[in-house]
Amino acid sequence: MRRICQGLLLPLLLLAAWYVVAERQVFSAYLLPSPAMVWQAFGELVKSGDLAVHLKISLVRVFLGFGCACLAAIPLGILCGRSRYFHTYCWFLLEFLRHVPPLAAIPLIILWAGIGEASKLVIIFLASFFPLFLNTCSGIRNCDPKLLEVGKTLGFSSYGLVRHIQLPAALNEIVTGLQLSLGYSWRALIGAELIAAAAGIGYLILDAEEMSRPDVVLVGILCIGVIGSLMDWLFLQLMNRLLPWRRIANEKGGGPWTL
Amino acid sequence: MDTVTISNLSKVYGEKTALAPTSLELAPGSLTAIVGKSGCGKTTLLRLLAGLEEPTTGTVTGLPAKVAPVFQEPRLMPWLTVADNITLAAASDPSLAKSKDRLADLLDVLELTGASALYPSQLSGGMAQRVSLGRTLFYNPELILMDEPFSALDYFTRRSLQQMLLRLFRNQTKTIVFVTHDVEEALLLGDRVLVMEEGAIKSALPVTLPHPRSATSPQFQQLRETILTLLK
Repeated sequence: MRRICQGLLLPLLLLAAWYVVAERQVFSAYLLPSPAMVWQAFGELVKSGDLAVHLKISLVRVFLGFGCACLAAIPLGILCGRSRYFHTYCWFLLEFLRHVPPLAAIPLIILWAGIGEASKLVIIFLASFFPLFLNTCSGIRNCDPKLLEVGKTLGFSSYGLVRHIQLPAALNEIVTGLQLSLGYSWRALIGAELIAAAAGIGYLILDAEEMSRPDVVLVGILCIGVIGSLMDWLFLQLMNRLLPWRRIANEKGGGPWTL
Repeated sequence: MDTVTISNLSKVYGEKTALAPTSLELAPGSLTAIVGKSGCGKTTLLRLLAGLEEPTTGTVTGLPAKVAPVFQEPRLMPWLTVADNITLAAASDPSLAKSKDRLADLLDVLELTGASALYPSQLSGGMAQRVSLGRTLFYNPELILMDEPFSALDYFTRRSLQQMLLRLFRNQTKTIVFVTHDVEEALLLGDRVLVMEEGAIKSALPVTLPHPRSATSPQFQQLRETILTLLK
């Protein structure tokens, strides 16, 4: 609780500074709308239901794209971690793809997948695939050989070794990968919506820009930040529930996952 | 199970001979203690028997279907509770899954009943090593290979685990090979003590003292002196 309060101190100071600066009209209201204006715009957007509609569309896109990325990245990561051939043959290609931000490929993605939902899903997929894939792969590869020896001497088959030892041992890194992927997919989605979309929170910002409504732009930005943090927090709560040993080990070691 | 016969078993890593050709018999139900300094080849011998290394030469016949080691470190799965770590082998062997009620007995014998829901990060060194022992016992191997299992523990924990081991195996027909660098431990536990040096078994001493053995008895002291002289 104390740490939460300490963490909130700086944002509250910024808010106060924003309030004072806006109140004294240091900048014009067009450049920096006051907190009251932003709050009012937020109220209007909530009341009209626009915010909810855009948010829902964005969140559905993120979860679909992220879900597809999980379905592909985890099995491929396991394969890559297990098979030396896979790693040797795919290494350069993966390294290349990893360094191309999906936003750079947007023109091609739109050309191939159209301007509709498919192109957004492809962008989110590309953004969230690599952190998860690479973390899964390294988690499987870094499995302590001493634990694998235990499995071998207890009569585990090679499937059993993956299922009961390598995969659970990689869960820590997989969870980190999932967390990164979720964050990446959220950010990539907003980028995609800013470039080409007819709905979504990114579109809301773009539309507000064209309508000269900086207050609405700020509402959009604040929503993105708050919802991104909230998703991350919820995700970690879920992981702590599902993987209690992780929380216990972290508490003991004073890890970064506990508030 | 049959007598395990080891003939001319050896292991060479590049230039270095870890184990010179060694022949040895392990009688069913016997507890063979192996002592020697670090790097004398005792761990290599165990790893060859456990099937974790391929021998350079030689054969082992009469190995039972189930051979399992107890390692020097507990090597517990951090994501499993004490109970799940002990019953780990049930995941590989469906016939063991039915005997999960044996878990309660094992927890009792190993004095872990209150700890069954804890995770490895919450255990002391002695508790973790007892869980590791329990995991091997649950698998129920005919031949158990123990590689300095108590060497990382403090004196009192070590003593109580040695006593526990003797209690556990007094009425069982398990064959055990127990590797240690502690001469006293070898004499407290073994039916015979093999002294290893530079990759070869230097001598084999039968120990006929009745259990529980006292480390202060004259016969014990004499055997101890003999072994220490051999190791010089």
